[in-house]
Amino acid sequence: MPQLRVLIVGAGKLGRQTAKLLINAGNHVILVDKDPAALHEMKDILGDGAVSGDGCEPTVLEKAGIGQAQVVIAATGHDEDNLVVAELARRIFDVPRVIARVNRPENEWLFTPQRGVDVAFSPATLVAKMVEEVVDRGASPS
Amino acid sequence: MHIIIIGCGRVGARLASLLSRAGHSVVIIDRAPGAFRRLDRSFKGAKIVGVGFDRKVLLDAGIDRADALATVSSGDNTNFVVASIAVEDYHVPRVVARIADPLRAEMYSRLGITTISATLWASARIHDLIVSPDLHNVLTVGSADVQLYEFEVPVRLVGRTVSQLTLPAEVSVVAITRKGRGFIPVLGSSFEPYDRLLVAAQTGSIGKLRAMLGLPD
Repeated sequence: MPQLRVLIVGAGKLGRQTAKLLINAGNHVILVDKDPAALHEMKDILGDGAVSGDGCEPTVLEKAGIGQAQVVIAATGHDEDNLVVAELARRIFDVPRVIARVNRPENEWLFTPQRGVDVAFSPATLVAKMVEEVVDRGASPS
Repeated sequence: MHIIIIGCGRVGARLASLLSRAGHSVVIIDRAPGAFRRLDRSFKGAKIVGVGFDRKVLLDAGIDRADALATVSSGDNTNFVVASIAVEDYHVPRVVARIADPLRAEMYSRLGITTISATLWASARIHDLIVSPDLHNVLTVGSADVQLYEFEVPVRLVGRTVSQLTLPAEVSVVAITRKGRGFIPVLGSSFEPYDRLLVAAQTGSIGKLRAMLGLPD
C-alpha cells in the first residue's frame, strides 16, 4: 500500500488509536486537537504531526498541512464539529477522501457526500450491530 | 411569515419577541429549557427543547413550511450546520447564521450561507462612533463593510461636481435630496447649497471620505 498523508481532527481515544494504527502501517499522520494534553502522549510517535489548535478553523488546518493530505478523518466527539471539518476539507481544501465519525446515530442523515463526507462511521451503530449479531447467534443456534 | 429561531440567548430571545410582536408565527428552539425565561411575556410563539440540527426537532418546528430561519446559538459550528440544513435540505428562502469568529463568517459566506458576525459589526460601529461621531450613519451594509451616511453638503463642495466626492469602489454619492425632491446624481451633477447627500463608503475608506469633506481626522 502506498504511503498516505492523513490528517485526523480530534485526539480522543478513537483519534489516537486510529493515528497509531495508520502510523504503524507506514503512513504519515497529522493529529489536530484543541487540547494540548490530549496530544501529549502521542508526541513521541507523531513528532511534528501533533498540532494543537481548533481543527474547525481554516487557518489551523492550513498550517497543519491539509493542502497535502490525501485523507482527512473528522473524529471529534461533536457531530457539528465533524461536519464543519468535512465541509472545509472538501469544499475549501479539495481533499480527495473525507471520513467522518457520527457520534449521535440520529445525526447520521447529515453525513452525506453533499456535505463533504465520503464515508461516515458511527461507533455506536457499529457496536450495536455487532452485539445484535452475537445475540441473534445465541437465540438461533445454527 | 413562519420563522424558526435556534438559540434562546439574548439575541435569540430579543429577535423572537420582536418578530412575535409584529404578528409573525415564531418557533424558538434551545437545548436548555431554562433559556426560555429570557423571552418576554408578549411572546406568543412556540418553544421547543432540543438540538437545533436534530431533524425531528426541525420538522416539529415546521421547517418544511418555514419562510425564514435564524440560527443564533452561541456555537458557530452548530449555527453553520443548522443553516446548511435549512438551505440545502429544506430550501428555506431566508436563512441567516450568527457567526462570532470573523474568519469563519467569511469562510461560511463563501459556502453560500448568509452570516452576521456580531464581532465585526460591533467593532466597526464602535470604530465609527469613535473616529467619526460627526457623520450621521443611517445604515451599515453586510458585516459593516459598507456604511451609508446622510448629511448636508459642506460649503466647500457647493458648486463642485459629484466626481469630487467619488472614489471608485470606495466612496459613492448614492442620492441627493434637493428642495424636498430626491434624485440619483451622475458624476457631472453639481452640488447646490442645502443639498442633503446620501453617501456610501467602504468602512476602510471613511478617512478618505472625511478628508474630502474637510472634516478633521
